[in-house]
Amino acid sequence: MWLTTGVVAVITFAVNIPWLNALMVSFKSEADIAHSPVGAFKPTLGNYANALWAAGYDFPKFFQNSAMIALGAVAAVLLLAVPSAYAAVRLGLGGRLIINGASSLRLLPAIFFAVPYFLLMSNLGIIDTVPGLIIANTFLNLPLGIILISAGLQDIPIEIEEAAAIDGANSYRTLYSVVLPVLAPTLVAVAVLVFIFSWNDYLFALILSSSNATPVTLGAANFVTSTGIRWGDISAASILSTLPPVLFALFAQRYLVSGLSAGAVKG
Amino acid sequence: MATKGSRIDRSAKWVLAAPLIAFTALFVVWPVAQGVQTGLYYFTLQNPEITFNGLENFRKVFSLPGFWDAVRFTALFAVVVTAVEAVLGFGLALLMNRTFPGKKLFFTALLLPIMIAPSLLGIMFRLLLNGDIGLAPAVLSGFGLDISLFAPGTVVPLLIVLDVLQWTPFIFLIVYSGLQSFPTDVLEAAQVDGAGKLRTLKSLVIPMMKPVIAAAVFLRMIDAIRTFDVIYVLTAGGPGRMTTTISIYIYKTAFESGDFGLAAAISTVVLLALLPLVPLVVKHIAQPEGSRS
Repeated sequence: MWLTTGVVAVITFAVNIPWLNALMVSFKSEADIAHSPVGAFKPTLGNYANALWAAGYDFPKFFQNSAMIALGAVAAVLLLAVPSAYAAVRLGLGGRLIINGASSLRLLPAIFFAVPYFLLMSNLGIIDTVPGLIIANTFLNLPLGIILISAGLQDIPIEIEEAAAIDGANSYRTLYSVVLPVLAPTLVAVAVLVFIFSWNDYLFALILSSSNATPVTLGAANFVTSTGIRWGDISAASILSTLPPVLFALFAQRYLVSGLSAGAVKG
Repeated sequence: MATKGSRIDRSAKWVLAAPLIAFTALFVVWPVAQGVQTGLYYFTLQNPEITFNGLENFRKVFSLPGFWDAVRFTALFAVVVTAVEAVLGFGLALLMNRTFPGKKLFFTALLLPIMIAPSLLGIMFRLLLNGDIGLAPAVLSGFGLDISLFAPGTVVPLLIVLDVLQWTPFIFLIVYSGLQSFPTDVLEAAQVDGAGKLRTLKSLVIPMMKPVIAAAVFLRMIDAIRTFDVIYVLTAGGPGRMTTTISIYIYKTAFESGDFGLAAAISTVVLLALLPLVPLVVKHIAQPEGSRS
């Protein structure tokens, strides 16, 4: 039994080395960083102070952008996916079209949409804006949302809704007061996943933003000054940037696991 | 399925689906059509004239050495990382499928790598591997290995190692979840029949886990083919074109060379190449109706 613990401990440590190292470096002064990667050092909060308050870095703005984009995408995906999944699964709209379409879209590399989205956003005048990136991330995560919510709906016993119909509720009422509460765990799973994937997006941020709507995934690379790369500051910024998805995931761990494996594991 | 007769309900499905239909029309169908269509034009950022080109861009795609290099590298990369991660992830799932001290803590810790943005992880890797201040070269030279990690000989294995570090937990998670629904009575019956651990593994567990492992491998492979963030941040596709995946190649064609038409053509070719996989996706990943009660 302890052997298992040992082996798992080694593997767990190994896969977490990159961010553990970044965490350590984030507390080192620039002098200590330049001096040696190994060995004792005196921890400092200077890098975090730089990341948050130093002039010319703009990290809080990137962080705010990321938050607005991710939360916006969550709201949009839920608002779009829930009614239509219900329409498809329970009310028979389009048969399997919506679900199959969503699954197929999931297959395509995002880069395929890079040029069209760049052109579309430019034409609509929303390039380098937060709403533009919300739309892009909604698009990226909608297939996953539809797939998970459809699966969740199919898990709900039809009797609940039939009882509501007997009581005189129409489709909207049934959806709102009966189905949604039962669907809550699936909705949480979708919210967590969409938040994480939107927060972590890099490609569309790279293409669709330049200075105004830059999220943290892109902004962390900005810590390159004329005196070279300030690794302490970058490490601090990276750790801060990683916190929201990680915290989200930790608090909603149960939902995360069920969400990630749904579609791959049946029943 | 409950059928409802009232007029409200008959129109309900359209009203409910309307937002999605509108969104899809504007932000899915239109871009896809645009994407394919742009490939038919000579459209570069340097030239203000956009002229119809027919299949010229498409012809060009197949004659570009860069294209084939990218395809080769992407295929190699995706297959290798998926294979390694499948084996390690499966083994890890088996290991974790027992009770032992600290299991809950380790489970949570194993989830962390997949939560970190690949681009940020790329930056963290750069920090770790930096020749001057990185921990990895320092440790390695302590063992007598003085290698530059970004050299042409080592950069590809390096990227593979990094992908394995980040994504093995993904396969682990899916397989582990599958193991949780493994019928224990079958295992018990095997034990009663005197089957050893290894035998049980070979003849019972692996065959029954095949659909789950296949789904995990499929999902991972799709994502591995699309790798962009972490490699772009680390090597920008270099040295030269050595680590240029197909996504990086398309990106560079569009936004560094400025040739939108060509980039669109390459994207369309890739799309067509992936199309045969669609029925597979539909069959294995999307839940078939009626498979759950």
